[in-house]
Amino acid sequence: MKAMIIDDEPPARRELRRLLADFPWVEIVGEAGNVEQAAGMIESLTPDLLFLDIQMPGGSGFDLLTRLEHLPAVIFTTAHDEHAVRAFEVDALDYLLKPIDPARLAEALTRVKSAHAERTPRPDDVLEQIFVRDGARCWFVPLREVRLLSSEGNYIRLSWGKANPLLGRALAALEQRLDPNRFFRANRRQIINLDFIENVELGVNGRLHAQLRDGTEVEISRRQTRLFKVKMSI
Amino acid sequence: MNDAEQPIAQQKSQLVYWIFQLTGWGVITLGRFIGGVTVLDLAWPRLLLELVLVNTVGLVLSHWLRDFVRRNRWRALPIRKLAWRIFVASFVCGAPIGIVTQFTYLSALVDPETFLREYAPALQFQLALPFAFALEIVNWALVFMVWLTIYFTALVVREHRSAQLKQSELARALQLAELRLLKSQLNPHFLFNALNTVRSLIGDNPARAQSAVTRLANTLRYTLSSRHDELVTLAQELDIVTDYLELESMRFEDRLRIERDVPASAASVYIPVMLLQTLVENAIKHGIAELPRGGLLRISAVLENEMLNVEIENPRPFAPISAAGEGVGLSNARDRLRLLFGTRATLDLDLSKPTVATARLRVPQQR
Repeated sequence: MKAMIIDDEPPARRELRRLLADFPWVEIVGEAGNVEQAAGMIESLTPDLLFLDIQMPGGSGFDLLTRLEHLPAVIFTTAHDEHAVRAFEVDALDYLLKPIDPARLAEALTRVKSAHAERTPRPDDVLEQIFVRDGARCWFVPLREVRLLSSEGNYIRLSWGKANPLLGRALAALEQRLDPNRFFRANRRQIINLDFIENVELGVNGRLHAQLRDGTEVEISRRQTRLFKVKMSI
Repeated sequence: MNDAEQPIAQQKSQLVYWIFQLTGWGVITLGRFIGGVTVLDLAWPRLLLELVLVNTVGLVLSHWLRDFVRRNRWRALPIRKLAWRIFVASFVCGAPIGIVTQFTYLSALVDPETFLREYAPALQFQLALPFAFALEIVNWALVFMVWLTIYFTALVVREHRSAQLKQSELARALQLAELRLLKSQLNPHFLFNALNTVRSLIGDNPARAQSAVTRLANTLRYTLSSRHDELVTLAQELDIVTDYLELESMRFEDRLRIERDVPASAASVYIPVMLLQTLVENAIKHGIAELPRGGLLRISAVLENEMLNVEIENPRPFAPISAAGEGVGLSNARDRLRLLFGTRATLDLDLSKPTVATARLRVPQQR
C-alpha cells in the first residue's frame, strides 16, 4: 500500500516514518510539508493512504482534501485539534493524536487494510468517494449513496441521506469522473443515481419523469430521453 | 445555590418550623394537663378543652409574631435593640392570654393563694387578685420570650451554615477560574507538539532530546508557578522565552529564525510575568506557523527616557489591513498591564503592514 505523510513539522514526519517501519506493507512514497506541495504530489504519486496533519501553514488538512480529485484513505494526525476532528459527521474516519501511540497506529492501519481489501478494483478515473466541506461540517461522501446531483451556479448540491451538502465544483467537470453505469445526466441541471429510481412516468408535457425513492421527481430532457430508455431498458 | 434548589430548601425550613411549633406548644399543653390532673385533681375534659383552646391561640399568635418580626426585619437589628423588642413583644402577646386565662379553669394551675402563703406571707391577701393577674401575664410573657429566643437562635445558626456553604462555593469557583487560566496558559497545542518532537528526537539525536526535556520542564515550571500579578525582570522573562523558542525551533527547524537585540540596561526593567511569552507565542502561532517557509522573529528592546520599549516583529500570511481579530491572550495581557501600571504602560499590535505584525510594549522603568 502506497502512503504519504503530510505534516509541516520535520520531526513529526521522521517520527511517523520510524513508527511505520514496523509495517513493511506500508510503502512511504512521499512526504510534504504544506498543502500546496502535497496536492501536486498526491496527483502524481496516487497514494492509497494519507497521514494528514490538520493544522498546517497555507491551508488545513481539510483544505487539501477539498482540492483533491483522487481521494485516498485518510488517517488524520493531530496534536490537539479536538474541535477540528469533531467537525466530522461520520465516525468512519480515523485520527491519531500526537505523540502517536504505536498500538493505536496498528489498529488504524488494520482498519485501512481491510477496507482496502474489500474495495473492488476500478478504473482509476472513476470517483468512488469525495470529501465535502460545507460551512463548519465535513463529510467523506461515498458517491454510490448519492441520489441526485444538482447544479447550483458553480456549486453542486448533493442529495445524500439526510444531508444536502454543497460541493465547490462545477457539475460538468465532476460528470466526467462519475461511474457511467450508475449516474445519468437527466437534464442540464441534474444528474441522477439510477439505483435510486423508484418509477418512471410520462408527464403531461410528454416528457419522462423519474421518481426517486425519497419522492423527488426529476424531469428527463427531450435530448436524453432515448438514451434513458436504453439505460433503463424501457 | 441555584434557582432549582431554592424552593426545596425553603420547603425544608418551613417543615422544620412547623415541627418545632407543634412540638413546643404540644409540650406546654401536655405538661399543664398532666400537672392539672395529677397535682390539682381537676376535671380533665374541661381542662383539656381549655388548654387546647388557649394554646392554639398561643400558636396562632406566635405564628403571627413570626410574620411581624420578618416584615419588620428584626434580624438585622443590633442585639440590644432586639433584646428589648423581644421583651416588649413577649408582654404584648403574653398579656391578653394571661388575662383571659384568669377567667378560666386554668387559673387554678397558678394558684396565687398557695403561692402567697408559701413564698410571700408579708403580702396582703387583697393583693392576691392583681398579683394573680400579674403572675399569669409574666408566665405567658416568658413563654413568648423563650419562643422568640429559640426562633432567633435558629435563624442565626441557619444563616451561619449557609454563609459557610457560600464560602466554600466561592472557594470552588475561584479554583475553577484559576484552573481555566492555567489551562489557557499551558497551551495544549504547544505542549503536545513539543512532546511529539521529543519523541522523535529520542531516536534521531538523544542529546538534543535531553536538552528538549529540560527546556520543556523549565517552561512548564515557569508557567505553573507564575502568579497573575507577579513582576519579573525582562532578563528573567527572556530566559524562558529562549527555552520556549529553542523548543519551537526543534519543531519548525529552518522555518524559524530568531534575532534578539536586548541591551543589558533594558534587561533589568520589571515587566508582568508571562507577558512577553504570550506575545512570542502569538507571533509563532499566527505568524511563523502559518507560513510554509516560516520567517524571522525579531525581539528587540530599548530603554529610553525611563521607558522600556519592547518590539516583537514577525512575518504573517498576507491579509488585508484589519482592526478585528484581537485574541483573548492580548486583551488579557493588556488588562494585567493596566492593573499593575495604570495608564503608564501600553501594549499595541500593529497590523498596518500587510505581511508583518509588530507587537509594541511600553513599560515605565520605575513602577
